[in-house]
Amino acid sequence: MLEVRDLTVRFPSGFVAVHGANVKVRPGEILALCGPNGAGKSTVLSVLAGDRAPSLGVAELDGRPLGAFDARGLARRRVVLEQSPSLSAPYTVERLAGLSIGVEVPPGLMHDIVHRSLEDVGLANIKDKRADLLSGGERHRAHLARILAQLAAAGEVEGKYLLLDEPTASLDIEHQISVLKIARRAADNGVGVLIVLHDLNLAAAFAHQVGLMNRGRMVSTGRPPDVFSKECLSEVYRTPIEVESDGRGRIRIAPLY
Amino acid sequence: MYPLRRLSVFMVCLVVGAAAAHADTRPLRVVSAGGDLTEIVYALGAGDRLVGVDSTSRHPGETQKKAQIGYVRRVSAEGVLSLKPDLVLGANDLGPPPAVEQLRATGVRVAIAPEGDSPDGVLDKILFVGRHLGLDDEARRLAGEIREEMTRAIETAAKSSRGRKVIFVLSVGDSGVLVGGENTAADAIIRLAGGENAARGFEGYKPMSRESILQAQPEVVLMMKNRQGGHRSTDRILDRPEFSMTPAVASGSLVTMDGLLLLGFGPRTPKAVAELSSAINR
Amino acid sequence: MPLVRAMTGGFTPPWPSKTPGIFVLLLGVLIVVALAELAIGPVNLSLQEIIAGISLSADSQGSIIVSYIRAPRLALGLVVGTALALSGCALQGVLRNPLADPGLIGVSTGASVGALSAIVFKDVMLGMLPPESHVYVLPIAAFAGAGVVTGFVFSVSRRGGATSIATLILAGVAVNAIALAMIGSLIYISDDQQLRDMTFWMMGSLGAANWTLVTVSFAIVAVAAFFLFRMGRELDLFQLGERAAYHSGLDTERTKRKVAVLCALAVGGVTAAAGPIGFIGLMAPHMARLIVGPRHALVLPAAALMGTILLLMADLGVRNAVPPAEPPIGLATSMIGGPFFLWLLLTRMKRDGLNA
Repeated sequence: MLEVRDLTVRFPSGFVAVHGANVKVRPGEILALCGPNGAGKSTVLSVLAGDRAPSLGVAELDGRPLGAFDARGLARRRVVLEQSPSLSAPYTVERLAGLSIGVEVPPGLMHDIVHRSLEDVGLANIKDKRADLLSGGERHRAHLARILAQLAAAGEVEGKYLLLDEPTASLDIEHQISVLKIARRAADNGVGVLIVLHDLNLAAAFAHQVGLMNRGRMVSTGRPPDVFSKECLSEVYRTPIEVESDGRGRIRIAPLY
Repeated sequence: MYPLRRLSVFMVCLVVGAAAAHADTRPLRVVSAGGDLTEIVYALGAGDRLVGVDSTSRHPGETQKKAQIGYVRRVSAEGVLSLKPDLVLGANDLGPPPAVEQLRATGVRVAIAPEGDSPDGVLDKILFVGRHLGLDDEARRLAGEIREEMTRAIETAAKSSRGRKVIFVLSVGDSGVLVGGENTAADAIIRLAGGENAARGFEGYKPMSRESILQAQPEVVLMMKNRQGGHRSTDRILDRPEFSMTPAVASGSLVTMDGLLLLGFGPRTPKAVAELSSAINR
Repeated sequence: MPLVRAMTGGFTPPWPSKTPGIFVLLLGVLIVVALAELAIGPVNLSLQEIIAGISLSADSQGSIIVSYIRAPRLALGLVVGTALALSGCALQGVLRNPLADPGLIGVSTGASVGALSAIVFKDVMLGMLPPESHVYVLPIAAFAGAGVVTGFVFSVSRRGGATSIATLILAGVAVNAIALAMIGSLIYISDDQQLRDMTFWMMGSLGAANWTLVTVSFAIVAVAAFFLFRMGRELDLFQLGERAAYHSGLDTERTKRKVAVLCALAVGGVTAAAGPIGFIGLMAPHMARLIVGPRHALVLPAAALMGTILLLMADLGVRNAVPPAEPPIGLATSMIGGPFFLWLLLTRMKRDGLNA
């Protein structure tokens, strides 16, 4: 399990971005972190990714503090897709997708993994294009292929973690859904997935668990229908929001304007 | 007046003795790196043996037709070798050291002149050049003439001396002026010409502050004529407050002289002493 | 081939079929330029003299010129070109900035301050040391100077993972200004003899090459180059940004420290031997990328070849331009490098805006 307990993050400027939050990412489950801008979602993700040490509280992977892992050890256990991934060299899509794979993987296997990842994100047909010249959405998917390949190359995926920071922000509806299906498939194979999401409907449809954050605090966590109540969402987003339920556990969320 | 007798008989004997060893090898392809040495070579009538000179060798005018090896402190070993010299006459500051080493390693005779920003130094250099060119008799004759001229010039200068404070300005920059302190060729020539160096308390060519210049109260400003013979830098001096308020500028005592003549300490040094003396003791 | 792939690391798409050919071509050009460096100079030499010089059976003046002047000069050129090109390549890779160059960001100037201090304080410093260690004092001082500057520039440029062109150039301007002030004070307190040593050295030249100097700088650069050549994958990962590189398993802080130390070592080592020589570290990696693509495992060796080719061509140029005089080599590299830099700056700014 990848988790933070009583996490507080204070920036050097003195600003407290996260206040006593508890987040558990369990193998085989998708946890979606939702909340308004500046709620602290990405900060929680960066602590879970090992980028940032908690100011207070604990961050652990299978009971071992994240700070005790070295960069390579962590890279074998969790993969991360940044909010705006960048690339400052004109690599091809194929080469970009293989970039995060460790040196110990034999070339033949590497080739297979990269191709499967590119097919997963629907970029296999443009693998020889320059990645820095792609559209924003395609580039984002190329980076997703890169971390999927990193995940696959690290061996057995069960017990690994996939951390996605707003992976759907630059994608059209078709690709938003396909990215979440990829996450779903990973979870089905035993991967623990954490997604920072703004789209509450996607979160409700694909996540097993959701966490709703506001101003650095975890407002509530649980199954989507339990967390996404009309009152709670309207208060957190300071906007009247309607929640419809079909009675079989599926909900639709719509802001009123 | 100046202790010329320091150049003792012993010294002359030594030089003559050393010269005898070289008498049979008369180098015919000579590279001279040093304006003073080149002048001496010409004064000894051996100008046609020169195959290359450095950029400080600007007198006499024939030097312009010789191959140019660049600045004396920055010569290229292979460049010099390409002139196929059998002798390289180098001023004391010939360099860089690795180039000198390389020249010697290829078997070229490199002769470094004695340091000589003094009347005795001029004579030393003349005998040095004569010895290496195999022209000892000519050199001794020339040294004798120069010594007489020098003695006369120095005596005349001393007689007409009015103890004027002279400041030598090497260059004028935006931030300050570079002046000749103690232990420089400028200091030596000023004193020979019966003047007093106004820039005291430091050695070498250094920037001098405005206040120190004002305090020094120079009565004559001495500068080098620039290569085109223009006077642009002297105009710039007049505009600067630290100079415009000195007695020198007030009385219009601004002297410019050819740099090589003034500071080279070559065979024209007596002439330099006479010229400078008459300019500053007016 | 599989062995090479395994060594260079990361996923390797099938080699572009022309890549080995390009390296053979570059090597060929380097050999031609190197032979020209031995054969062409102000002194005309016969083929026998050149061969005698190379085979170390020097007996005539001509063959001594080859073995004592031209050959060490060529060797120093190879060392200096490799060091500057590899440092430029690594700095550009880690800073994710194509304008990083040991000269522009002040590493060379830092090395100069170190070396000039050694020249000026020679008598004080060397008094305590055994004579055989003197030849190492200049490189060590230059390394220290270069190290301080590299450390400073890296810490300034740390913000946000990638460096902005503006930050980098401003840091370079600041560092160069401080260093020049220090050089100014060194010049002020130096005596005439020290001043001579300094002015010659400041101009940059391969002319002082002798076998001792070549051996010392070769030893220093060989160590730095050995490690820099193996950094292909690390530099590739840096192109994702520091955070993503870390997510991919790279200890980014360690990599940066490594690059800083290795570059300071390489630049310090060659600056001590040949003075500050600009623009090779800027141009060589760019040309290398143009011909072998962006993979650092290929860019590094290609840049080393390009760097030595450029430097030897510049040296050939200055040696044969106005014989028997010889202009400083920095003049030649700046004459090509200056316009190149301007072009690069303008195209980058057009593409990325001023803050890129």
